[in-house]
Amino acid sequence: MIPISYNVRSLMVRKTTTFATAGGIALVVFVMAAAMMLSAGVKKTMVAGGRPDNAIVTRKGSGAELSSSIENNAVSLILAAPGVKKDEAGAPLGSGETVVVIAQEKLGGVAGQVSNVLVRGVPDNVLKVRPDVHIISGRPAKPGTDECIIGKNLVGNYAGMNLGEKFDLKKNRPVEVVGVFEAGGSSFESEVWASLETARSSFGREGLVSSVTVRLESPAAFDRFKATIETDKQLLLEAERETTYYEKQSQATAIFVSVLGWVIVVFCMFGATLGAMNTMFAAVAQRKREVGTLRALGFSKFNILTSFVVESVVLAVIGGLVGLVASLLLTFAHVSLMNQASWSEITFTFAATPNILIGAIVAGCGMGIIGGFLPAMKAAGTSPIEAMRG
Amino acid sequence: MTLFGIAARNIGRNKLRTSLTVAVVAIATLFFIMLRTVVWSWTSASEFAAKDRIATRHKVSFVMQLPKRYAEEIAQMPGVTAVCYANWFGGKDPKNENDFFATIATDPASLLKVYPEIKTSEAQKEAWIADRQGALIGDSLAKKKGWKVGDKITLAGSIFPGNWDFNISGIYTTTTTNVDRATVWFHWDYLNESLPERSKDKVGWIVSNISDPGASGRISKAVDAKFDERDLQTITMSEAALNQSFLGMFSAILKAIDLVSIVMIAIMGLIVGNTIAMGVRERTNEYGVLRAIGFLPKHVAQFVLGEALVIGIVGGVVGLALGYPFVNLGVGRFLEENMGQMFPQFRVQPMIALMAFGLAIGLAIVAAILPARKAASLQVVESLRRVG
Amino acid sequence: MSENNGKSDIISLTKVGKSFWRGKERLDVLKELDLTMKEGSFEALMGPSGSGKSTLLNLIAGLDVPTSGSLKVAGSELSQMTEGDRAGFRAANIGFVFQTYNLMPVLTALENVELPLLLTNLPAAERKKRAETALKLVGLGERMGHYPRQLSGGQEQRVTIARAIVTDPKIIVADEPTGDLDRESANDILNLLGRLNTELGKTIVMVTHDPAAAERATVCHRLDKGALAL
Repeated sequence: MIPISYNVRSLMVRKTTTFATAGGIALVVFVMAAAMMLSAGVKKTMVAGGRPDNAIVTRKGSGAELSSSIENNAVSLILAAPGVKKDEAGAPLGSGETVVVIAQEKLGGVAGQVSNVLVRGVPDNVLKVRPDVHIISGRPAKPGTDECIIGKNLVGNYAGMNLGEKFDLKKNRPVEVVGVFEAGGSSFESEVWASLETARSSFGREGLVSSVTVRLESPAAFDRFKATIETDKQLLLEAERETTYYEKQSQATAIFVSVLGWVIVVFCMFGATLGAMNTMFAAVAQRKREVGTLRALGFSKFNILTSFVVESVVLAVIGGLVGLVASLLLTFAHVSLMNQASWSEITFTFAATPNILIGAIVAGCGMGIIGGFLPAMKAAGTSPIEAMRG
Repeated sequence: MTLFGIAARNIGRNKLRTSLTVAVVAIATLFFIMLRTVVWSWTSASEFAAKDRIATRHKVSFVMQLPKRYAEEIAQMPGVTAVCYANWFGGKDPKNENDFFATIATDPASLLKVYPEIKTSEAQKEAWIADRQGALIGDSLAKKKGWKVGDKITLAGSIFPGNWDFNISGIYTTTTTNVDRATVWFHWDYLNESLPERSKDKVGWIVSNISDPGASGRISKAVDAKFDERDLQTITMSEAALNQSFLGMFSAILKAIDLVSIVMIAIMGLIVGNTIAMGVRERTNEYGVLRAIGFLPKHVAQFVLGEALVIGIVGGVVGLALGYPFVNLGVGRFLEENMGQMFPQFRVQPMIALMAFGLAIGLAIVAAILPARKAASLQVVESLRRVG
Repeated sequence: MSENNGKSDIISLTKVGKSFWRGKERLDVLKELDLTMKEGSFEALMGPSGSGKSTLLNLIAGLDVPTSGSLKVAGSELSQMTEGDRAGFRAANIGFVFQTYNLMPVLTALENVELPLLLTNLPAAERKKRAETALKLVGLGERMGHYPRQLSGGQEQRVTIARAIVTDPKIIVADEPTGDLDRESANDILNLLGRLNTELGKTIVMVTHDPAAAERATVCHRLDKGALAL
């Protein structure tokens, strides 16, 4: 087995070429990791809002909160269903919410550009059902007023969305931002939360809610809850675990990002692998005499083959690591994308999961192996005498 | 025999290396064509926007509705020649719930008047107007679903619950890419009569034809001013402005695509530059002999650049040759049929092809600048020194 | 110092020194050399490795400039010339024959010989004619369309010589021209060089290790440690 130090030294001798080739691979791995991290980030953000012991009820066939409407009298029936947890006062833990998207002017971009922001009308007990939400500045909205709290991702990005500022929900119906909240990295952080009454009357949804979210006694209580809700022929409702619901909501966007990412990555990998192949072929040609010497010394063809493949892999892994480390910097970045299902803009982050990190390195190795294989075969085929003569 | 001719022949020295490098340039060219076509396809709708149409929506939200009466009032305003209204229905094919296509309730006669791009036969037009349960289907969607005129279809409502039956009265095609070919248009009355009292007589948006395209700004403002005092206010803008606004919501993705284009260019530059540099290093002695004979440093640089130029040209040509069928016959077909909303047309545009070719050449030359300078700056005596 | 057969000095070095710097260390390769060569002479430069003979050849050929002293070749004072001027000087006055790597592999023998003519204003047809003439002169009229890889070592050197004379330079500079060749080919080359000297009156300056090659020369200089050995 030819020592790896031989390969490493050879790579260092031809510094410029090594850096250029490794650089190409670094860029490819970077792009690949970025795409996968964004896709994972989309899923993570969406699912972060859901708890396995929360269930969300919408009108049957609506597919999303935005399209769904449930009559007021149905809400109490839902809250009375078996499996719903009660609070210390014996009241069911659940919140009927109204959801609307409004077109708000974005700041910092093209003048007049609007984007859809999700406004959620929530009842006074909403924080009990969603305890992962915390006010980080200001205070909660006073019940029964035109005050609202906004998720931290909205702050400063839209007109009127800052502590103490106002924006219109309806003509002559401004809401004042009294607090900013964080919600564990979930999509709620891109929402405005106003009181249910304010939202309903602003949008002409009196007597209706978009959805009802309930806390279950335990995750296992879901099946019985669902069965009860869905058998009622009058109401035509469907119930889902909150985690499942949000996963579905993010599906279209996550798939879109993945597909786009993979198409890009495949092209780039092709290019970088060819580049690595080029470099290795040149290296093999340049070191013909060395290889001949090694063979004369007794190293077998197989030794030579593996040595060059290893060299190519080392080259690729160096590039891959650089690209990977660079991609980790993305975890500090935010991307705001239009989420298909909720038709509103949500801020996503790049999520670096262990799978992605491993996958990126494996891809780097793969490029190294494929790129280096043919040149290594050529090197292995070198006859010692010919090599030394040349 | 010229310097450029010799430089061109130099690519034949190491056919393997040249092929690999040309392949990289070709792939990058092809990729660039694809990305730019995606962006073009996405944004082209706004370029073909009709100049004589304005759209009115609820001022606060895209999902909130306006009273139908507003449409009638707008129709009376000076400068407005025709008006049509519509509601987003959000129907799904019960057999294939994940299939996304637009279902819109509208007034048939005014739709066809306001959107002359929507073309169907006279007979089918009459049939649709006459049948309250009739639907006009886009040809792209009809083809995909296997729907034909005369078929009865059932769609599941998401916003408006239940199963809704329609008769396919006609199939339409469009004369521009602005309007998509995968929509199900049906009678607003059919929807309205099934709604509870408090939801009746509402419309999602109103589109108007105006007589003078130059007045679109003025008329839009006039419409909004008219409804400003009412409970439900409007915002009106030209169709082009509306399309731009929609596009703007996806700005993050468009920016990402641009960024990726740049990264690809960087990758390509690195690889081509590396190849040229390797060649230069191997031919140091040869350049030395040329300098000895009397060639100047600039001649040596021209050699290197000439070689890069040829690689760029060949790679660019191969990339284009692959690009056209790949986009027009392969990917383009797929996207037009399955994602017609976003990509109404997916074809290689001459401008994009030209840009891609120019990029291949330009980049090859830029990548070769450093190696060329290095080769030119070599001392003659150093270059002649025998190596190995 | 001009006499002998009425021939003048075509090359004269006066107190020529050449030093190189390796980091901070200064290497004096040539030390205050005085040397003259007559036009039409066949001069050999010999000496052990590191004696400075190749450096001297490079100076005479205008490939490099002396660090000190004056160097006059074919009427031009080389020590004052810029690199660009020297390139022009070389194109007009010097023909080169190196040990290896002389020819461009992508060009035929004829095209290789034509190469120096690209620096002139001659039309293509004229260039071709002169190249053909040169090739015929070295006895390779039959191989004009061959590529270097199709030629033997000796034939390659002959093509090189054809290229060296195609611009009709006064001086031919040869650095170990027979170094890579077998005995028989080496003899052919030396014979050819001899003919260029006696029949065409070319001045030849040749660096060599080979005593047999040196014997063909009319004058032989020995260098040792940067100075002429007497």
